[in-house]
Amino acid sequence: MGDVVQIYEDYKERADFLTVYVREAHPTDEWQMKSNVKDDVCYAQPKTLAQRVVIANDFTKRFKFPLPFGIDDMSNAANDAYAAWPERIYIIDESGHIAYRGGIGPFNYKPEEARDWLAARYGAVKHEAPKPPANIAPPSAAGAATPAAPPSK
Amino acid sequence: MNRFWKWTAGILGVIVVTAFIGLSVMAGSPKDAYGMVRYALPHMHRGTLKVGSDAPDARIVALDGVSRFHIRERTHDRPLVLVFGSFT
Repeated sequence: MGDVVQIYEDYKERADFLTVYVREAHPTDEWQMKSNVKDDVCYAQPKTLAQRVVIANDFTKRFKFPLPFGIDDMSNAANDAYAAWPERIYIIDESGHIAYRGGIGPFNYKPEEARDWLAARYGAVKHEAPKPPANIAPPSAAGAATPAAPPSK
Repeated sequence: MNRFWKWTAGILGVIVVTAFIGLSVMAGSPKDAYGMVRYALPHMHRGTLKVGSDAPDARIVALDGVSRFHIRERTHDRPLVLVFGSFT
């Protein structure tokens, strides 16, 4: 996500940004990655919207994620409409059309292509990289101890 | 006929084993290969959107878990960079 944050810092005066949290890619009850265990990012696949909300809030707080943020609801409407899972970037132009369609992550997830699109339009911009949070707080107890299991709404 | 089916089954078996080994190398381990086939591939789709397509709308839940807004509400006078992802 660091590349995306840098792009946001560089172009937030020129373009709007929205991050949409979609279903987990590597939850504990599906295909968990060792790297997630090492980084203490362990969540079960959310079964309710409330669980998604908890994880999304853990994410934004832990990384002090600066981009505007939203959550796909349990119908996965945004994910289905944009074939977004596990990660993907689009740019929508002012007329409401797809101006850039990124590849499917992780192998074809290339934030630099979105940067290139913005640079072609607004010129190359490169601010100093934002400093990572000094103290990365661990995920909330609700998210870590009992992965993503708040009461459903 | 019996010999034909033996050969067919043998060739199919070799293909399956080869594909699994290839996936294991690509994914990192046999467990990861299984995870990819079982959990990732069913959810990965190229989709039908192309550059120039109308951007679909969808209702999004705000971080407070209560408020809702639509993606298209965020498209105004400037391009909207839409980033999809998850924590893990």
